[in-house]
Amino acid sequence: MIEEPFRFVEAIANRREYIENQIATGSPIVALNYAGGILVFTLGRERQKVFEIYDRIAMGAIGHPGDIERLRMTAIELASTEGFTRSASDVSLRRMANYSISPALKAAFEQIYGAPYLARVLFVELGPDGSQNTFLRVDYDGSIQSNGTPFSKSRQEYAVLGGTRASAEQMEKFLARDYKNGLDLDAALRLALDTWTAGFLVFEGDKNPEELPDEGTLNRTRREQLEAATVEAAVLESKVATPATFRGLTDGELRPLLEGNA
Amino acid sequence: MNFPPAAPGASAGNPDPGDFAALLQARGLYPPPAVATSGPASASAIPTQTQATTILAFKFADGVLVAGDRRATAGNIVVYDRADKVLEIDRHSVMAIAGVPATAWEMARVLEHSFQYFRRTQLQEMSTGGKVRALSKLLRDNFGFVMQGVGVVVPLFATYDTAGPEPGSKLYFYDVMGANFEVAEYAATGSGSPAVRGVLYYENTWGRKPLSEYTLEEALNLTLRALDTASEADTATGGVDRHGRIFPMVKIIAAEGIRTITDDMLRGLFNGGRHPSAQPLSAGVPIG
Repeated sequence: MIEEPFRFVEAIANRREYIENQIATGSPIVALNYAGGILVFTLGRERQKVFEIYDRIAMGAIGHPGDIERLRMTAIELASTEGFTRSASDVSLRRMANYSISPALKAAFEQIYGAPYLARVLFVELGPDGSQNTFLRVDYDGSIQSNGTPFSKSRQEYAVLGGTRASAEQMEKFLARDYKNGLDLDAALRLALDTWTAGFLVFEGDKNPEELPDEGTLNRTRREQLEAATVEAAVLESKVATPATFRGLTDGELRPLLEGNA
Repeated sequence: MNFPPAAPGASAGNPDPGDFAALLQARGLYPPPAVATSGPASASAIPTQTQATTILAFKFADGVLVAGDRRATAGNIVVYDRADKVLEIDRHSVMAIAGVPATAWEMARVLEHSFQYFRRTQLQEMSTGGKVRALSKLLRDNFGFVMQGVGVVVPLFATYDTAGPEPGSKLYFYDVMGANFEVAEYAATGSGSPAVRGVLYYENTWGRKPLSEYTLEEALNLTLRALDTASEADTATGGVDRHGRIFPMVKIIAAEGIRTITDDMLRGLFNGGRHPSAQPLSAGVPIG
């Protein structure tokens, strides 16, 4: 089967369709820069989806929990052993994704008799001086999209992870319109929630929307979803005394967001 | 660039997914325990090596204080006068080391990564009991080297337990084989420790009030004087080096985290004391 080019292409296409279907209903994840660092945000129902990887790296993922877990452990092991044998400043998200995570995902995806990873991952990394943060998305087939190379002049200040391409595009459009530099945490949380809602609306209602949702639809959906699910948010803080910068947000910090939508 | 490619079931080589030391051993990144082939290399090797420093810790009103002098020696040679023997392991834990620096710093590094690794992989903080035990295991694994006459480490471990059944400051000392002992009041290790233990025992038992009621300033004063006392007779203890302006490393562990006492504060306290050489030469030596 592998020797025949057409069959291989067909098998890959089938596999792609299967995986896309499997992860389509995943709750979107929104990550954006704010005044204090990076915010990673999602709404969830049953399990944790935003994780600490290393001192300055966090991860959000949608897909099968078993596959997410394998990728998460791999990332933590890579970062921890590198940080131990060399130093914490040698741990780099770009290297980890390019040389380890992506090849592993691609190999699993193309070995059509084996099981692929049913997962899509968003990594974020706090830059050395709190600027030049990296947002990097690795898909189930190993493809990487990031917000810029080390040489690029302007970097995008946010990234999203959606269950479908349309959902992700809608969220990016939303952020392109509403994102501003230097948001405080409360403003960043509100923007993240609105962006999440815009992404959620895509697989809830219109699968290929032309327009961004209007204010009324956004408000109503947001309220419904906050009742049904819980907010999960974590930050990488650029101004902390300890090397580890990851912190899950507390109920107290999320309360203004929830009460504003009660 | 040496990352191994991520493999499905990346933790397959690691017998315990939360154990960083086991991961290092599975990857060949940490030396396997040395096996003692005979008895100690020489009868005097062990006691000599454990004795080249002074570390002390005690509980006072604000939390636990951990302090160490800054001198590192090799035999009768002073090799370094700014050694840091009081090492922060995580937001609430400090390990203070007496013994061979190479081994001790490596242990501290493994320990630091172990706690973080556990929290990241298992999504919960390691318990105080788990942390205390982790250091025990490192000491136990090191015992082969100790039997060969190298790598003796006798640490103190101080932490603030936020989640256990009895939250509060905790202080432990260890022997070379890894046995841990929780102490209620104070502990000291290293060559200068007999003098320090004398000072701490005396103040705690016969002083104006027990150590647990000391304020920060009183605790710091006692610490400086105890280390100075230790260095009076013990050449391996740096004490308070007024000429080099090198002060001991002092850290306070409390519920809100770890605080390092600045040299300026220590200098002010020490010079305000009555130690004869703390006064300017022209002022003469006060009597009585």
